[in-house]
Amino acid sequence: MNYPGFYPDLFRVTLPETALEVAALLVLVIDLGFLRKAALKVRVAVAALIGIAGCGAALWALQCTARSGLSFDGDVLLAQGGYTQVAQTGILALTILTLLLFIGSAFTRHAGEYVSVVLMAAAGGLIVSSAQDLLVIFIGLELLSLGLYILTAFAKSSGKSAEAAMKYYLFGGMSAAFLLFGFSYLYGISGSTNLNKILLASFYSSASGGAPLLYVALVLIAAGLGFKVAAVPFHLWAPDTYEGAPAPAAAFIASVSKVASFALLISISTAAVHLFDGVHELRFVAFTLGPPPKYLGLWIPWSLILTVLSAASMVVGNLAALAQISVRRLLAYSAIAHAGYILLGLAFFSHSNASANAILYYILTYGLTTIGAFGVVDVVQRATGSDRLDAFLGLHKRNPLLAAVLLVLFLSLAGIPPLVGFWAKFNLFAAVLGVSAGPVAFALVALAVALSAVSLYYYLQVLKRAYVMPAVDETPIKAHPVTMAVLLAIAAAVVVFGCFPALLQNWIAGF
Amino acid sequence: MMMQEEAAVAFSPLTQCYGGSSFAAHMLWLIPALPIIAAGAIALLKQPRRKTSATLAIGSLSFSLLLSLVAFGQVLMDWAYGDYGSRETVNLTWFQVGAIHVDLGWVLDPLSAIMLVMVSFVGLLIFIYSTGYMAHDENYTRFFCFLSLFAGAMLGVVISNSLLLLFMCWELVGLTSYLLIGFWYQKPSAAAAAKKAFLTTRVGDIFFLLGMVWLFAQTGTLLFYNNGGGSMEHVALSALLAQPAALGLTAAGAIGLLIFAGAAGKSGQLPLHVWLPDAMEGPTPVSALIHAATMVAAGVYLIARVYPLMQAGALAGGTTTALTVVTWVGASTAVFAALIAVAQNDIKRILAYSTVSQLGYMMAGLGMGGVAVGMFHLITHAFFKALLFMGAGSVIHGCHEEQDIRRMGGLKADMPLTFITYSIGMLALCGFPIFFSGFWSKDGILEAAQHWSVAKAPFYMLVFGALLTAFYMTRQVAYVFFDHWRGHKPAHESPAVMTVPLAILAFFAITLGALGTPVWPWFRAFLDGRAAGFDLHGFAEPGLLALMTTSTLVVFLGLGVGWRLYGNKSTRPEAKDALENAVPWVWAVLRDRFYVDELYGVTVIAFYAWWGRVADWLDRHVWGGAVTGVAWSFGLWARLSRFLDTNVVDGSFDKGCEELSAGGGLLSRVQSGRVQAYLRILALAVVALAAVLIWSARP
Repeated sequence: MNYPGFYPDLFRVTLPETALEVAALLVLVIDLGFLRKAALKVRVAVAALIGIAGCGAALWALQCTARSGLSFDGDVLLAQGGYTQVAQTGILALTILTLLLFIGSAFTRHAGEYVSVVLMAAAGGLIVSSAQDLLVIFIGLELLSLGLYILTAFAKSSGKSAEAAMKYYLFGGMSAAFLLFGFSYLYGISGSTNLNKILLASFYSSASGGAPLLYVALVLIAAGLGFKVAAVPFHLWAPDTYEGAPAPAAAFIASVSKVASFALLISISTAAVHLFDGVHELRFVAFTLGPPPKYLGLWIPWSLILTVLSAASMVVGNLAALAQISVRRLLAYSAIAHAGYILLGLAFFSHSNASANAILYYILTYGLTTIGAFGVVDVVQRATGSDRLDAFLGLHKRNPLLAAVLLVLFLSLAGIPPLVGFWAKFNLFAAVLGVSAGPVAFALVALAVALSAVSLYYYLQVLKRAYVMPAVDETPIKAHPVTMAVLLAIAAAVVVFGCFPALLQNWIAGF
Repeated sequence: MMMQEEAAVAFSPLTQCYGGSSFAAHMLWLIPALPIIAAGAIALLKQPRRKTSATLAIGSLSFSLLLSLVAFGQVLMDWAYGDYGSRETVNLTWFQVGAIHVDLGWVLDPLSAIMLVMVSFVGLLIFIYSTGYMAHDENYTRFFCFLSLFAGAMLGVVISNSLLLLFMCWELVGLTSYLLIGFWYQKPSAAAAAKKAFLTTRVGDIFFLLGMVWLFAQTGTLLFYNNGGGSMEHVALSALLAQPAALGLTAAGAIGLLIFAGAAGKSGQLPLHVWLPDAMEGPTPVSALIHAATMVAAGVYLIARVYPLMQAGALAGGTTTALTVVTWVGASTAVFAALIAVAQNDIKRILAYSTVSQLGYMMAGLGMGGVAVGMFHLITHAFFKALLFMGAGSVIHGCHEEQDIRRMGGLKADMPLTFITYSIGMLALCGFPIFFSGFWSKDGILEAAQHWSVAKAPFYMLVFGALLTAFYMTRQVAYVFFDHWRGHKPAHESPAVMTVPLAILAFFAITLGALGTPVWPWFRAFLDGRAAGFDLHGFAEPGLLALMTTSTLVVFLGLGVGWRLYGNKSTRPEAKDALENAVPWVWAVLRDRFYVDELYGVTVIAFYAWWGRVADWLDRHVWGGAVTGVAWSFGLWARLSRFLDTNVVDGSFDKGCEELSAGGGLLSRVQSGRVQAYLRILALAVVALAAVLIWSARP
């Protein structure tokens, strides 16, 4: 490498990822080496605890690393500080929660392997959320995705799990191919793999007649990333995967992987909105002898693509969720709808940090809530053998605490104040309207608000069964104490962050 | 990286203005928090854990009292060392939207310190008393849960440095009062009274909320004090004064009146007083706690808290529109309720109307004499009225839940302790000269009324009210404690757990007066931020001795007339009242409470019933149709979406399955069929998106 401090820098910047990888290997050694004769319970607990310790070490390393990022040849490869650090902290914290949920579940005998795959996927998530270079992005995404395919398939005795993993894998493989194809076009247009350089170069080239190629590249990339965040029409894998994957794995996919992917989208959008600041705009105008082109009134084609994906996700996600009878599929469609709201925030991305902060607030609180929701569904599913709506009948008699947690989480997902979901939506929509007060933005926000009213209907369908409708079976449901503690903690956090929204807002803004 | 350089801009960090405040001020939030936490803990207890619940409630409130005393000591020290205007605030941002941020906070100053000690001390005595009074109730734990929550909310009202926090605690107080009045919800009358109390106070609260929103819109803050930036401080007040509102009022005056409407609802002022007498359906400790000492005083406290706003724009010695309204409402309430109290037969109802009347005195005192005058009567009244209510509770307990004073009598022999303490409370309420606190606090109000520049009428109204007070209390005591026993089962004295708090309160009902005599006006000096000196010339102020003589004469006149009419005249319970024999029509009007309830019944309630029917019709036929239409269309959408899902997506899957099933096994069928369709859609979507983009970007 052409400057001497590169490898020390690389080590310093990737210290959190290193911590996770070391923990992943350690888990394998201990679980397969020393605990081969131990009881499954012990092995699961030990593996999860080592994993949590690894995440803790990574969190600690995250605080210690400098905020300069890693550059090579003047181009940033990995960013640090700012929203990256928020997203990475969020990823690690949510990983810890999913590992805690793993302690209470019993879908596999391969505890060590499970935890080590989770840790590696989390490391991929960390890379994705800090990457500023096409190649690094792709490597991070693959590390994350491959982990997720394996996790989906982890319930080896379940046919559904295997089926879901297969579909997820095929769909993911094709999306990755699209993504890589799009990246190669971008490189061809711009001659660089750095995000900022690419976006700048692509605008000059689009002004000089290279636009159609750029559009194809952007659409291909949107397909690849749309798959990661489950945006319509690249969402088809989500319901099957959410239904088939073991609950802790599904919670991981729905939270950690989403946080990482949205952090990547924030990187891209930030780079895009900063193209036309001051100097560049003048140069652009001088170069083309005219103002930058407008696309259906939207400034950049990227935001047009995101708008289309967002509107489609909100409509399809919310309406399809209405017709579901399986609660896991319902959560999948609701995840699609939530992704739609966030994409709206990305499509109307502000020059200041308001949008980035609002999106991070949304995705972190959504991740937290959805982990809790999967935890509750898993407990019910294991007690009743089904995740149908009717499995929740009379839950408040069978386990009042669990029903209360469900109530808090689902109302938060629906965006009822004073729970955290309300503030998430509020901040996000306020940020969108702060960027553009035009009719398009207003109509889209109005659509989003109307559809979140619709979403209340399907959330209440579950709560109605838990609280109002008569129970068919009143035998109590027992949950593992660790699971119960995690769920209660999540519900408490949802209430506390909702009552004191400044806590989390200030924390995010503080980076 | 550009994005990271801007990372610290968007939300500004938590603004905390500690301003070098003391430990006591920092810990102030614990005072309301402890009882609220205790309430939460009790709520989780099972019904039979009676001892634990009472211990939790009493323990937490004892700690609150301790902390209140520490806080009070802190303020007292500052005051003693000459820091008269001592005021410490702790503010923090609750949430922030763009440039607007909503702050909460608490304040430690003489006003809140005195109120804290009073509320937690009287509250604690009432808690202890309740362990005896409610001993036989099966919902004992629930009672202490509500009681604790109430005390916490009330203490929260007291410490608030933000109108918003105050409003939240205010509403919490309203909620717990609803729960406690309706505690015996099996009784239809109790349930109705709870509803009435809640709805009536809500009427005032709407205006309060309006005032609050207006204040926020004008000043951008709801904090009272914030190092010069609060809404009760000079900058905000002069801005409000410069802003004209309708009817010749400034914005300050209009907001003040709106807030006063809220205070009038809580403090049972005309015309929103109707809920308070009905609220006597609740258990007697509740009446003592809520309807004598604390909640009804919250309205008076609120006016004292926003006094700078009420007073804004007054010239030296002058008054403002808002304060004039407060005075007239207070004085009218004082006379009006005292008149009604003359003709009631329920022991608690008499006290309830007496409370309404005394709250009128406090409001009038605030309107004419300032914070110290009104607050002094609030504090003394809290002690002797709690004493009277708890004494009444003791009587009711001893008389086997009998509340009609015509069916009592001669209890001075059966219940000597109750009798002595009750008499002390009664004399304090009447304003018996020199020895009782009520005399000094009421005298302060009368003195202020005498010097009031706007009109003299309130003075005469209040003097007449004092006469009536002495009269109806004499009537009540004569009925209850003298003559012969007119009930069925003989009465018995209450247990020590009930009488000891009575004795403590009686002690304070006498001694508290010493804090506010003209010779040593400590209370006034403390609240106004001046030094207090002992000065015998205090009596020599012009007109003061004449005034004291007048009020003494008035009290004796009331006592004398009352005793002449009701003293030692053995009557059967069914016999007509002495006053009823003399002037039957006046009696009837007073007994039926000036027909205010009936008036509301044929106007407000009838209007709402009619409006309810109209709204019902609109709902059923107009909005209902619209909503059904929307719901139906969404149902259609959902079905369409499912149709697409099952027939288009799954249809191709099924097709694929069918094709494969001939050759392949079950597993391959499940795994490959649907994915083909998925991938096809993926590819189509990419092509479609690219087409849309290129089409939209065409020149």
